Amino acid sequence: MTDLKTKIGIINCDFGNIASLINAIKHLKYNYEVLKRPSDLKFITHLILPGVGSFNKSAKRIRETGWSDAIIDHTAKKKPFMGICLGMQLMFETGSENGEESGIGLFKGRCEEFSNKNEIKLPHMGFNLVSHSNSKIWKDIPNNSPFYFVHSYRIVNDKKNCDKEEYISNTYYGEDFISFIENDNIFGAQFHPEKSHKIGLKLIKNFAEIKN
Amino acid sequence: MIYKRIIYALLYSRGEFHLSRNFRLQKVGDVKWLKNNFGFGETCDFIDELVIINVTPNPSEADFNNFFKDINELREKIFLPITIGGGIRKLDHVRKCFENGADKILVNFLAHKNKLVCEQIATIFGEQAISIMVDYKKDEKNLSSYINSGKVFSKTLKEFIDSMENLKFGELILNSIDQDGTAAGLDLDCLDLIPKKFKNPILVMGGAGKPEHFIDALSHEKISGVITANLFNFLGKGLQEARNFSIKKNIRLIKFEGVNI
Repeated sequence: MTDLKTKIGIINCDFGNIASLINAIKHLKYNYEVLKRPSDLKFITHLILPGVGSFNKSAKRIRETGWSDAIIDHTAKKKPFMGICLGMQLMFETGSENGEESGIGLFKGRCEEFSNKNEIKLPHMGFNLVSHSNSKIWKDIPNNSPFYFVHSYRIVNDKKNCDKEEYISNTYYGEDFISFIENDNIFGAQFHPEKSHKIGLKLIKNFAEIKN
Repeated sequence: MIYKRIIYALLYSRGEFHLSRNFRLQKVGDVKWLKNNFGFGETCDFIDELVIINVTPNPSEADFNNFFKDINELREKIFLPITIGGGIRKLDHVRKCFENGADKILVNFLAHKNKLVCEQIATIFGEQAISIMVDYKKDEKNLSSYINSGKVFSKTLKEFIDSMENLKFGELILNSIDQDGTAAGLDLDCLDLIPKKFKNPILVMGGAGKPEHFIDALSHEKISGVITANLFNFLGKGLQEARNFSIKKNIRLIKFEGVNI
């Protein structure tokens, strides 16, 4: 039996692919709510920002709708938060897709297109292995497990950008890029756990089991 | 460098899933049949992606809605990337596909007839979100591309591929009408038409009938993945076996293993 007090909020900001995420959370038998506006955040213990689309447009949208500030408030209370795919990229300071734009700024760093385009095909699409940090959220998940990726932009893995408390997980695609980042109860996944077979469900479950 | 892919395709029309042979369809069962028979869920644990195509000619809005209803029932217990397509003509269709769980959408007709909408899809949803499928077959001289379920000639396959040059999109799916449903192996001759500078991932579809066929296609450097719609050859343990056999033969595929949730 899952903890009845846990309630996962899924931000629906017009650019997310939330149907599959909802199915995953339903399958794991957690309470959840799809959130249209920040005022819906009441009673939410765990918050997820999914995302498909372009950085520029979505970054503007989360600011206009007040979600950017709401996410900062939520994380300041140490409540668990996870960004997925574009949702993860938006957690960083800036992105260059379709013109320079600022993100939420929970992590230092910059989202740019993969640079070695002559050697790799873009988008980086399909399952790839995650060399993970073995922290609490990776409990019972073997290292180098496969997760599903679809993206042409990635967070530049510049070690100088990382604070000491941050755990970085890497994936190799022509270069080592940041495929997962965490700091305390803040998590970002470049891959789609809700699309990554049972291993992905396990990661979502581990996130939901994190206590505030 | 990236892993190659084995992808499963379901062909759907008006409440039923179908087998296809040279684009002639044969009903095999509805969504409940698929969920309850042949180990569909187990199959999904061992494929990289699922493609679901509505093959109804000129689907009405009601056809779209019933299609999504059945997809949603199917998706409740499967957690893998899904591409949805068939009959997409406008942005509203695309939006509905994403709302109903698509990670990528698949267009065919639009890539021949309305590149403007293709551009809009790429701009709004990201280029990786639009897959372009081209149906082709061998005519007297050339490989030719067809629209409207393989019935109407569009242009030569070479002209079609060349017309993709300035288009923003994710991957290209080459679907051989001649090989479709034959289980006689995939057509690889079409790859000669792909220019050297072509950067998008290429998937081939039509003709996979046994594990060796996957190996033949996946060992080709231009091919990123193979799609099979062969319901009977590969449901249950079939694709898992094809996958493991390919890995043994040094095809770079991800090995999927279970985990206790």
